[in-house]
Amino acid sequence: MKKEVIITGFGGQGIVLAGKVLGNAAAIGDGRESTLVQSYGPESRGGACSAQVIISDTMIHYPYIRSADVLVAMSQSGYEKYIGQLKDGGMLLYDRDLVQPDDSIKEKYAVPATRLAEELGRKMMANIIMIGFITSVTEVVTLDAAKTTVTESVPKGTEKMNLDAFGKGYDYGLSRLKGLERKAAGKTGAMS
Amino acid sequence: MNQDQFNFIVYVCNWGPHAAYMELQDRGADIPLEIKMVRVPCTGRIGKALLFKPFEMGADGVLLAGCRSGSCRYGVGTENAASNTEDTRKILELLGIQKNRLRFETFLPDEPEKLLDCLKSFVRDIKAMGKSPVPRKRAAEEAAPLAMADILTRYDVHSCQDCGKCTSACPLALSGKAFSPRAVAHDAITGNLDSEAFVENVWSCLTCGTCYERCPSAVNFPEFIRDARHFLKQNRHDGHEVHGGFFQSLMRTMTAENLTMNRWSAVPPEIKTDPRGKVLFFGGCTPYFDTFFNRHLGVTTSSITLDSLRLLNFFDVVPAVLPDERCCGHDLLWTGDVENFKRLARLNADMMASTGVTEIITACPECYRTLAHDYKEQGFDLNVRITHIYDFLEREIGKNAVTFKDFGKAVTFQDSCRMSRFEGRPELPRTLLSKMKPQGFTEMQDSGKSAVCCGNSGWIGCDSYSKALQVKRLKQAKDTGCDTIVTACPKCQVHLACAMENPFRDAQKELGVKDLVSLVAETICWE
Ligand code: SF4
Ligand code: SF4
Ligand code: SF4
Repeated sequence: MKKEVIITGFGGQGIVLAGKVLGNAAAIGDGRESTLVQSYGPESRGGACSAQVIISDTMIHYPYIRSADVLVAMSQSGYEKYIGQLKDGGMLLYDRDLVQPDDSIKEKYAVPATRLAEELGRKMMANIIMIGFITSVTEVVTLDAAKTTVTESVPKGTEKMNLDAFGKGYDYGLSRLKGLERKAAGKTGAMS
Repeated sequence: MNQDQFNFIVYVCNWGPHAAYMELQDRGADIPLEIKMVRVPCTGRIGKALLFKPFEMGADGVLLAGCRSGSCRYGVGTENAASNTEDTRKILELLGIQKNRLRFETFLPDEPEKLLDCLKSFVRDIKAMGKSPVPRKRAAEEAAPLAMADILTRYDVHSCQDCGKCTSACPLALSGKAFSPRAVAHDAITGNLDSEAFVENVWSCLTCGTCYERCPSAVNFPEFIRDARHFLKQNRHDGHEVHGGFFQSLMRTMTAENLTMNRWSAVPPEIKTDPRGKVLFFGGCTPYFDTFFNRHLGVTTSSITLDSLRLLNFFDVVPAVLPDERCCGHDLLWTGDVENFKRLARLNADMMASTGVTEIITACPECYRTLAHDYKEQGFDLNVRITHIYDFLEREIGKNAVTFKDFGKAVTFQDSCRMSRFEGRPELPRTLLSKMKPQGFTEMQDSGKSAVCCGNSGWIGCDSYSKALQVKRLKQAKDTGCDTIVTACPKCQVHLACAMENPFRDAQKELGVKDLVSLVAETICWE
């Protein structure tokens, strides 16, 4: 099985780190193949930047993505730049407060990553929250692999804080899936 | 009354049935000996409190004998008696006292035979049921006699600087009542304990805690009043219980150990509970309030309890409930009846311990306060986490992908004294409100820790000044331009609804009242 994931946002959001964590989790934690292509350039100073991650059970011959299974958007400009590369029926994950997606996209999952990070007291952890969200919603990497990789990728002393952030995103994703299931079963709120 | 003997109370209207009763007495008819006949001017005047009182005292049956419909001297007596009986029977049923122990029958003056048959069959039927589950004597629960000197020391009332800040903030004093917390403190210190003013004032205080917020010497006035009431009770100075003392009577009845109650009978099947749940939901007295007030206030405080359960279920918590949950005892504790408070606390604490739960959640601010603090202080350590439902909601909303539907009303918020002042957490409901989508939220002039009381606490001393205070509060609410007052306590809902029925209120605009829990339950939805 092969999954192609584009993560995009603006410079400073930790987009590339998020890509690295996903790739490492897949390769080291889950023992699969993965590649990472990062686009820096002028984007890293505020424009749309991206990390392209491919995760596969077999050898990956070409690391660039033309048709993504998953697009993770943490900025409007990133979303606009890469939405064209999301394949038909692909999944869009996005920060609810920063991205206004098109109605035409069917499979989309919102998380208030930046707001949740602010509530935790660190806006810069929005990317870690997003990794948690990706992990539960897409299952491109396993929970254990993602947690271990997060712990190993963040500065010493901040592990617990980052794991909390990861947990927030992960739980939010689970809850989002549960909500969808409930809605499909006709249970939209607490009264019905 | 003898403990093993059956006891029956028959209230007999002075007009129709009493004539028949006298006829029976004159001819020496065999009226069952266990019957105590109480002659009353009109059965319509025997309210729920008087219908219920004999049951608190251990009666096995109560019969209300009134005039045949249409023959009532006062017009509506028969109807009132019928409806009071019906409500009281519902309350008996909630408590697990068979409702057939209370009956209402009507007679014409010339129907002595019918009356005799009725009395006999009444006694026979109830004897067949057996004794009432409420015995006349209940297990003793001691409270040592209090000395005022100790109470004064405990709350450091001597540090009162006579500054009067309390009185100038007190909503009762501001309503025009000749009432002053400063004067109460002064009387207590100078030993003026039997004076009419002292007794009256101790019973009048709303224990709302506004004064404590202002006091430069941090005299905990509401708790001082609580203990002073206990002191007065021990010295035979009772307070003015409202509604004929019905609620105190109800609470004391619940101290009977053998009640098998039906207080959860209105929980619809779609709400899930589980006797083995690790979380216990403590419901509080809402079904009793609704039944008692159904005719004149039409309040539905039970929806707070049911909506709380719905919200727990929504977040995948299937809680346990205590089938025989008693009142937490808050009002008895705060109106000086510590002995009966302890009986209730012991029963609840034992039931809670037997469930093995690790957390108790409640939506009532008074239950919260009582379970979280007073049980322990009075010697009943529950050893589990007590959580107010707002904290639970805050926690769950924070980690779940949920949002809120628009609530098409502009709202204001009535703080509960127990959460906003006693717990010092006025921000808790506001954080929840800020996540929802009312059509605007405006604070009243006095809000948060300075909020004005809903008008009554502990079902004592409601008078015209309480009404004045409520009218002022409703005016503040109206001035915000809201359509709905969001409340945080079932009793605020009852008292405010009552205030709105006040015919002298300037009725420019009706305000809706809705509890915050119900507001959350009705608008929350998955993303
Ligand atoms: S505010 Fe405190 S110090 Fe001042 S009169 Fe009242 S009880 Fe005494
Ligand atoms: S507790 Fe409330 S009612 Fe009682 S004296 Fe203080 S402010 Fe007045
Ligand atoms: S405000 Fe109304 S309901 Fe409340 S105690 Fe007074 S009379 Fe009773």
